[in-house]
Amino acid sequence: MLTHLNERGEAHMVDVGDKAETRREATASGAIFMAPATLGLLVEGRLPKGDVLATARIAGIQAAKRTHELIPLCHALSLSKVTIDFDIDRESGCVRVRALCRLNGRTGVEMEALTAVSVACLTLYDMCKAVDKDMEIGAVHLETKTGGKSGDYCRNTALGHSADQNHVADQGSVTAAEASIPENRPNMADSVVSTAEGVANTKSAVVHVRCLAELRERLGVEETSVTFASLPSADVAGLKAQLGRMDKRFQYLNDAQVLCAVNHVMAGDSSAITEGDEVAFFPPVTGG
Amino acid sequence: MLANNNKSMLRSQVRVQEEAFDPGVEQQALLAGRSDIGAVVSFTGLVRDFNERPEVTALTLEHYPGMTEAALAQIIDEARERWPIDAVSIIHRVGRLTPGDPIVLVVVACAHRRAAFEACEFLMDYLKTRAPLWKKEHTASGDYWVSEREQDHHDAQRWEKESP
Repeated sequence: MLTHLNERGEAHMVDVGDKAETRREATASGAIFMAPATLGLLVEGRLPKGDVLATARIAGIQAAKRTHELIPLCHALSLSKVTIDFDIDRESGCVRVRALCRLNGRTGVEMEALTAVSVACLTLYDMCKAVDKDMEIGAVHLETKTGGKSGDYCRNTALGHSADQNHVADQGSVTAAEASIPENRPNMADSVVSTAEGVANTKSAVVHVRCLAELRERLGVEETSVTFASLPSADVAGLKAQLGRMDKRFQYLNDAQVLCAVNHVMAGDSSAITEGDEVAFFPPVTGG
Repeated sequence: MLANNNKSMLRSQVRVQEEAFDPGVEQQALLAGRSDIGAVVSFTGLVRDFNERPEVTALTLEHYPGMTEAALAQIIDEARERWPIDAVSIIHRVGRLTPGDPIVLVVVACAHRRAAFEACEFLMDYLKTRAPLWKKEHTASGDYWVSEREQDHHDAQRWEKESP
């Protein structure tokens, strides 16, 4: 697929000539938040500049192809596939953008996917700015990356973007959860075993997070895991802070209504957590 | 399922299940072979066809497997510290239910009636505010998660005021 490799001679550019050609794929996502009225006009096709999503899609595809012109040390790539998808998320008041880039080649395509998302968001801003100047672009991040020497990557938060996310239905949250679960995700029993055997198992050095009932649907997350070492403090407050850093939708966990349990026992912000713990967040209970 | 503790003669059971239950059968099983029990109080909660909105057509109950059972067992332990309970059973259903279906059963058996009445009420009040179960109501005008009720918290709090 790669017609030629760019050997421009810049000393600081990675020489990819000796790398094996593999099928590379990357997905990235982001969102542009806007007023509900703006989102309504966009959906109904009543914005002055015309078909907003179609324009933003073309812009994203063009941007992916021209990433090397924008990002100084990127190679020019001959992409075999670029797709841009949009989700209208009325609950969060935003348009979510997801880009997929693919090629058979010697370098990853994550910069292309991230650039596509960014430019699609900028184009959405341009297309809507006549009626809303307060729009905000955010949450631009890499979702997945496959192929290449550094191995596959899947973003650890479940907050990526599922095609169904605008439907706040079980199906949507399940999709998000599946996307988030790293391979060979250890369960609690696994981590207990590895501790007992004294085996260093880096994969167990995580805290498992679950969201239940209305909270699961609100956040679009059923399960995720957070690296224990990334927590600013080894307690529930630290976990909430780290989750909030990973995706601002998790900031809702600080709402006074949200309850928390650590290993099935009700807990508060100051409750200690450790590797392998299961931390669940949920709304006030309504059984009986 | 039915745990017997010979020392205190306590029978205690907690079940979370999708299947329906028969309150009569459950009560009989709990009391079988016992002649030291003088009072048994049983509460059955049913699905109403009206709640936050009229015309509730169905209910979906979700829970947190593992924690629900542990929380209910904990509530039973707290009740046992307050009343001399001889036998107790809590069954809570999950999944999709329709109006008229039984949701929850609490059966408490004691030597005397007052303890049985009070313990049964206590168990329900604590279950409603502490067990990780959530209701989603399905109505003609849409589905929604049921909000918590302030009254439930008042009901549970009165036991805290009365505690020694």
